[in-house]
Amino acid sequence: MRTPEEAPRLEAAAPIESDAIRVREVPGGALEGFVAFLDGIQRSRVLAHAGTVPIVHGAVAAAVRHRVAKRAHTWDAPVVSQALYAPVAQLEPALARALGARVPLRDTGREEAPEGVQHPQEHTARALTAVQRAREAAELALIGDWAQRGAGPLLADGGISGGAEGAKSERIVGVVKSHRTLYADAAAVPLLLGLREGERTTAVRLSSPRRLPVASWYLRLRDPTGRGPLFGLVRVEVALTDELTARADLVSRWILAERAPVSLPDARWDVMVYGVRECEQYLSAILR
Amino acid sequence: MSNEILGRVVATERRPNTPHEFHFWTALDAPVGIGTIVRVESARPVNGVLPRIYGVVTEGFGYTDLQTPLHDVLGADGQPSASAFAPTERTEIRLYTAAVLRHVPEEPLQPVPMGTVHLAAEEDVQVALRMDSYTSGETKRGIPVGLYRAGGTEAAIHLDADFLLGPEAAHLSISGVSGLATKTSAVEWLLSSIFAHFPAKKGKVAAVCFNVKGPDLCFLDQPASSLSDDDKSMYETLGVPARPFENVRYFAPWSARGTQLATLRSNDALQANVQPLTWGLKETLQYAEVLLNKDDIDAKADALIDFIKERVVDQTFSDPGFLERAHEVRSFTELEQWFRELLRGMEARNADVWRTHHVATIRKVRNRLTNISTRCKGLVTDDGMVSDLPFKEGFEDRAVYVVDVANLEEDAQDLVFARIVSQLREHLEKRQLGVEQVVVFVDELNKYAPSDGQDTYVRKMLLDISERGRYLGLVLFGAQQFRSQVHRRVVGNSGTALFGRMDPDELATPGYQTLAPATKARLATLEKGQLMVRHPHFGQPIFVRFPRPAVLTGREGVERFPQAEELTLDQAVTKALRRIDTSITLGWVQDALALAGEDEDGVLRARNRTLQARPDDVKAFFKAQLKKRATPEVAGRRGPAPLRVPTSDDPYG
Repeated sequence: MRTPEEAPRLEAAAPIESDAIRVREVPGGALEGFVAFLDGIQRSRVLAHAGTVPIVHGAVAAAVRHRVAKRAHTWDAPVVSQALYAPVAQLEPALARALGARVPLRDTGREEAPEGVQHPQEHTARALTAVQRAREAAELALIGDWAQRGAGPLLADGGISGGAEGAKSERIVGVVKSHRTLYADAAAVPLLLGLREGERTTAVRLSSPRRLPVASWYLRLRDPTGRGPLFGLVRVEVALTDELTARADLVSRWILAERAPVSLPDARWDVMVYGVRECEQYLSAILR
Repeated sequence: MSNEILGRVVATERRPNTPHEFHFWTALDAPVGIGTIVRVESARPVNGVLPRIYGVVTEGFGYTDLQTPLHDVLGADGQPSASAFAPTERTEIRLYTAAVLRHVPEEPLQPVPMGTVHLAAEEDVQVALRMDSYTSGETKRGIPVGLYRAGGTEAAIHLDADFLLGPEAAHLSISGVSGLATKTSAVEWLLSSIFAHFPAKKGKVAAVCFNVKGPDLCFLDQPASSLSDDDKSMYETLGVPARPFENVRYFAPWSARGTQLATLRSNDALQANVQPLTWGLKETLQYAEVLLNKDDIDAKADALIDFIKERVVDQTFSDPGFLERAHEVRSFTELEQWFRELLRGMEARNADVWRTHHVATIRKVRNRLTNISTRCKGLVTDDGMVSDLPFKEGFEDRAVYVVDVANLEEDAQDLVFARIVSQLREHLEKRQLGVEQVVVFVDELNKYAPSDGQDTYVRKMLLDISERGRYLGLVLFGAQQFRSQVHRRVVGNSGTALFGRMDPDELATPGYQTLAPATKARLATLEKGQLMVRHPHFGQPIFVRFPRPAVLTGREGVERFPQAEELTLDQAVTKALRRIDTSITLGWVQDALALAGEDEDGVLRARNRTLQARPDDVKAFFKAQLKKRATPEVAGRRGPAPLRVPTSDDPYG
């Protein structure tokens, strides 16, 4: 089951490295820097229906894979959990008790509109959102652990602004592969979509009411010629820092070093570093 | 018993486990390879017992998450050197396939369950190969064949004497490419092991080895020039003394000229246990079929030969109608005289037929039979002189009898082989050989028992041994480069098979279809001193190492003990007679020969008879033999020879 996607949009962000978003060639070429990779996965399916209400089973897992002598090993322990998702108020109490007896039952009805949800697909969508949050929570928990106990830079798949430790730690770098939201005004869009391989934009400050502020920039990992404007384009998130230009250049070099080996046959191979793919494969193997 | 987990059993629908095969993965650096023995521990009891399965690795696979090699090319931008800079190595797997050696308990026989995989420890190897039933206790009868080594485990591998030397199964076949000395070395080592471990209560054992080429087996009683520490350690572990064979006797025919034995073991220092191998008419005629092919012998000729064997040879034969006198045919020379007189008699009477035998048949048989002593010169004597293996005296326990036929023609080799093996069989049947088990080692078995070609006497005999020899204690150890070229009934009846490094073309033949590709690849690259062993108790072939034989190799032997130079007639006689009377000098022999005026054949006959009789007074006996042959009817007799002056540099004086 797929998570509902947001509509594509632009969102202006405040430049912090320069007065406006500019293009900058990453100096010095690729440099190995990361020692660990973090990813999380989720699985969900409608297990049964109680009347018209779908009961969704969701499982999430997240792990840090520590790279030692070019080989990945699981750091600490992976986070694995599963639960059932349903609007508890719409279930018979006996059924709700029975469902929750062996597997945690998460209530998806608490944030309902006053008139209540009636469409079964809306129930399912709410459950999926809840599963996604559970996965994000698992990832953030591990990011927090690494920020406290890990040694060396960790590349996390996705943004890092959801948790305080990740958003503030210099050891954590988030790499976002999808671009439903482009953090640029209309004038800057041609610049960031026109990045060539090995170029980055200058950094902007991202902030929102529910997230912590971080510094972010776009980086082109692979030559997009003949491929489309988003090919090989990632957005990087790091904790805000004073020496941002030097920091962004260094982190960009680290990410560029992770282009090999390629993550084929994954469809997102142009933007997915192998360490994340390897972590995803590991999680797929352990999440039954 | 090793408790460290080496791997885990895996099975998929595409690659399921079966009762005889399973798959497991290991860490990349696990000490596992083709031939490694492993133990599977299941956590799920069956009938209240946790199953334990033993297997040997037969195939290995390694792969990464790469779906196609093209992806790696893309990732490296087409530059192989760029791949080296990848900070992460791809996820990689080591997946192995193992063939089941044994299930414990044996029933119910189920597919190998999921479980943990462990390296087999020494005690595991014992159980896995079912050696526990014959390597200890009162029924101890294990014969060490080598050491199994893998992942730090070292275990002695024993063959079951009942299945190597009979009566349960018997015979051994060893195959391997030429040039590595693996086949000969393995047999030498195994004979040492048999002599050291064959239980005394099972009887006495001896070996008859046919040296068919070079000096391979000519120095079995001489110590190896050097043994490595590893070799010595293996000898110690396997409980076999690192010593050459203590009791070896060599037999070789005379050279065509007859002055010395036709063997590479002709150095004076090694003559104490070398003796001639010569046969006369009677011994040869018994096996005439070996030397006469189907074109030579039809039913009529066969009938005449049978008549000669039964009515003429070794008895007084008279036929006043055709023969001028009574004949006693005991040698080829006398047989020739008999034929000559018979044909003369038929001519005189203008007879075409004698006792139902047509004159043409008689002439043909005469030609073929009297020709034998020429074709097998050195082995077959005209005068009936016999020097043979000790069939009458009896074989000695743990003795090796080497028959050196390397310098004989192929026909003569066949004759030697046929007669000796037949005699062994005959004496074993009568329990008159002195030993209960005889190992007959034949190299180049593909020559004697080929898979194709016409049926020969020797091949029929080998088939008979391979199928029935185990009941008699007659055990065939056959070596060949190409097992596929040996008759399938011979190799099929070999209870035990050893394989050294194999030729890849040979491995492509149907006889090796049951081996996994990786096992074949290992066989094609085996080092010297390594063998793959098949034995009835082992569920699968096992790889072992064996020590270098503690005997001098043929090549080193001929360097250390150079071949004696070709001798003159008087030197040859001196050398031979001094073995039974050390007072004999070259000068004395020269005088004796000069006085007798005997031709060369006559001198050699006298020498042979003296050697055979081993009289107390060697000089008198030898002189008497010279006089006995100095008769007018001997063709080619020379005139009196001048007296010789004794040489001052008499090497035997």
